[in-house]
Amino acid sequence: MNPTFKVENLEVAYGETIALKDINLELYPKSITALIGPSGCGKSTFLRTLNRMNDLIPVCRISGRVQYHDQDIYHKQTDVINLRKSVGMVFQKPNPFPMSIFDNVAYGPKRQGIKDKDTLNSIVDKALKQAALFEEVSDRLDASARSLSGGQQQRLCIARALAMEPEVILMDEPTSALDPIATQKIETLLQELKKDYTIIIVTHSMHQAARISDYTAFFYMGELIETSDTDSLFQLPKKKQTEDYITGRFG
Amino acid sequence: MGRHSGLSLNKPSNTDTNHQRFQKLINTVVKRLVFLSALLSASFIIIVVVFVALAGIEPFISDNEGLGSVSFFGFITRTIWLDGPTFSSNMYGAGYLIINTLYIAFLTLALSLPLGVLTALFIAKIASRKTATVLRSIVELLAAIPSIVYGLVGAGLILPIIYNVALSFGIQTNGGNSTLAAVIVLTFMSIPTLTTVSEVAIRNVNPSLEEASLALGASKTQTHFSVLLPAAKSGIFSAAILAIGRALGEATAISLVAGNALSGPTFSLFNRTATLTTAMLQGMKETTGLDYDIRFSLGIVLIVVILITNFALNTLKKKVGNVHAQ
Amino acid sequence: MHSKRKVIDGTLKGMTIGAALTTASALFIVFYFVFTTGFSLLSFDLLVTDYNSVQYNAVLETPNQTMEFEKPEVIDSPFSYKYGIALEDSRNKDGESIISIAYVDDNSPLKTLLDKESGEPIEATKNNVITRISYEASPTSLTREGAASMAERLDSDTTIREIIFIEPGGGIRGSIIATLYLIGLTLVMALPLGIFSAIYLNEFAKDTRLTRTIRSFIDTLTGIPSIVYGLMAVSVFIPITARMNVADGLSIYAGAMTMAVILLPILIRTTEESLAAVPNEYREASLALGANDVQTTFKVVLPNALAGLLTATFLSIGRIIGESAALIFVMGTAVKDSVDPANGATTLAVHIWTLMSTEPANVELASTIAVIILTIVLILNTTVKLLAKKFDKIGNR
Repeated sequence: MNPTFKVENLEVAYGETIALKDINLELYPKSITALIGPSGCGKSTFLRTLNRMNDLIPVCRISGRVQYHDQDIYHKQTDVINLRKSVGMVFQKPNPFPMSIFDNVAYGPKRQGIKDKDTLNSIVDKALKQAALFEEVSDRLDASARSLSGGQQQRLCIARALAMEPEVILMDEPTSALDPIATQKIETLLQELKKDYTIIIVTHSMHQAARISDYTAFFYMGELIETSDTDSLFQLPKKKQTEDYITGRFG
Repeated sequence: MGRHSGLSLNKPSNTDTNHQRFQKLINTVVKRLVFLSALLSASFIIIVVVFVALAGIEPFISDNEGLGSVSFFGFITRTIWLDGPTFSSNMYGAGYLIINTLYIAFLTLALSLPLGVLTALFIAKIASRKTATVLRSIVELLAAIPSIVYGLVGAGLILPIIYNVALSFGIQTNGGNSTLAAVIVLTFMSIPTLTTVSEVAIRNVNPSLEEASLALGASKTQTHFSVLLPAAKSGIFSAAILAIGRALGEATAISLVAGNALSGPTFSLFNRTATLTTAMLQGMKETTGLDYDIRFSLGIVLIVVILITNFALNTLKKKVGNVHAQ
Repeated sequence: MHSKRKVIDGTLKGMTIGAALTTASALFIVFYFVFTTGFSLLSFDLLVTDYNSVQYNAVLETPNQTMEFEKPEVIDSPFSYKYGIALEDSRNKDGESIISIAYVDDNSPLKTLLDKESGEPIEATKNNVITRISYEASPTSLTREGAASMAERLDSDTTIREIIFIEPGGGIRGSIIATLYLIGLTLVMALPLGIFSAIYLNEFAKDTRLTRTIRSFIDTLTGIPSIVYGLMAVSVFIPITARMNVADGLSIYAGAMTMAVILLPILIRTTEESLAAVPNEYREASLALGANDVQTTFKVVLPNALAGLLTATFLSIGRIIGESAALIFVMGTAVKDSVDPANGATTLAVHIWTLMSTEPANVELASTIAVIILTIVLILNTTVKLLAKKFDKIGNR
């Protein structure tokens, strides 16, 4: 199976601090890959290299190769905007724009130049349905996004990302700011979405990783310690550090 | 036991030494003093309003040394400053001045708001650290320049330019004195406040919103104009309200470039104009008499205009801000 | 679609950069105009000369004395060996021809003239303009005859009956002195009032409705245009100074009261901020040692807020120097050469107004004054910035 992402010898530094060292990893399509590890291990940094959000930090230096399909995304001629159309992101704390629900979801397509009302309507409806939010908001699409609950806002952000019809969705601890019920709703949603999308999720909860992911990668102090399919990693970890983390000896 | 037995804190008691009694007295006196200072400071606003109002109402209720009282309704609606010879007429009219004042202030806002907000955007998001620091200092300096100097540059530099440019298009101006001149001078005076306050508003926008926009494939510029500036709307509105308040009250700078029109209102950009403030400053020949006293009436009108404008804009801000904000 | 978006993006970004450029250029335009127009008149003389020109009708102290003077090498203009002065043809600022004195020897009899009517001693100095010299037995020397002729006739063998000359004025000494008086008097009134009010608000006041009302009333003061303060001053402070027998009508005293009120909100705010910046640990330590609140405030808090107070003072000085509208009403627009705080006068800013609102406007001198004002504002601003940096460093230690 051809990996969606192939990462080779990736090193990321912020000024003097080295955040990631010698990462080699493949990420597979239409599945959920969980990135786990204790705080500060570099998993979020890794996630952000996949859609070049690290570009926003001026002191960030990257070396190595990150290949999306057959393209080195850090090549000078890569169109970052196109990349982000295919590789979407959902953030830890829900961050809907101070606009209506409709405008939030329609934001991405509008920026790409889609103006036709009917097209936008169908895009928004489809995205909201895919995010399992449509039923709850279909009668008030013009209401402010801020009027939704935390869990609903996060599903709105997922819908917003889905509206771009990406191939990959990156999620940076998407449920850590939500209550257990909202978390469960989103976990169920992700199981549905993985049928059509490639999902990479950073999570500080290994239980979440064990519950929903197909593949897991364990990061520790900027290094990729171990990666394999989730069942194998959790039941038969190959490295001692992995085992220690999984059994709760640290982290 | 000891000197500080703790029970008598600030009231003198029998166990105090003279020194302690003195200290406590000073304590009480000073506390009273600073309280009175604060009260006095707070009372000035009342003093200003009351005394200007009292003096300003005079022309409408007194006989003005035989000239007869000025009709209040006439005053706020008439379009000629003085219908009749000075010192012997009471037909003062500030109606056109009110219109001119508002007209000029809003025109100024229309020019200075985009200039100020975009400059703020540049400083906050586009400029490098060094350039941003330099620009911020430039803006601070612009804010520190006294209004009379702006008036001087307006009169010495902008007037001749307007005169010549208008002439080349066949438009006659009164030496360049015009609405346009007043608007240009006021615009440059308003930009510093607008820029500074807008920059703060822009910086206060949650950076996560920008990240979300970029992650969706929007460009930086799209993010700035579709997410950042709308999110900073409320702060920018406040900046605008502040700027309009100052533009309405500016006196010496505009006086030197407006041309002192004695009737109006003036909507044309190239004709002479006059505002409530310029009328207060023009032709002060005496310090008594109706011609002098009427300036206080203009003062009342000015305060009322500023209050109403502030109120209206603040109400508008709440309406606009409520949609999609919290 | 892609390229259309790039065009829009490019335009928007271009407009943003353009706006920033426009703003930046405004500063340079202001400074450029003011400095180039005003530079030519800038001189030390300007700062110490009177504004109003004065005409003198003078006679010699000892009419028949004969002296011989040597012409100094550096002078080429027509020179009178008998009286030790050099004259030159030039033009005044209205473009008219005048004869001005280019040089006066220290021992010249023209340094010991007497006023024709009062007999008071006066002296003719460099840059004074001679309009006529009348003689006992020669034709009167007039301006239109030129400097050379006037100098020659001086050396001819007749006694001078009368010299009429003008001190051209055009200096800003009076306005500078008035400005300094205003700054001093205003600070004397405003600083205590403002600092005490700030001390009350920050150190002693509790969060009651009264305190909130006081604060909001003080804040509203900032929304009032300064011209309205001028009106208030005329109806409040001028009568007060009259009642106190301190001044009658326009005066710098009334002006200082007015400026004190104008400065109040910003003084109070800045002082409150610098008081608030003093860490509570200092207060607690002082109180724990048995000092009362007032002692704590004045002996511990205030000294630590000094940098902030200094900043507030400098900001105030800048504001005083820049104020025009209010002072026009309360101090008048007549430029005075001998400044008395009990009378009106013009500050530098109001002097600019007076120069620009007469026909024809004296843009050059106005610009020169503006150069002085801008330079002072620049220095004050930079000092405040440096103080703020030092203040931060101390706070962070």
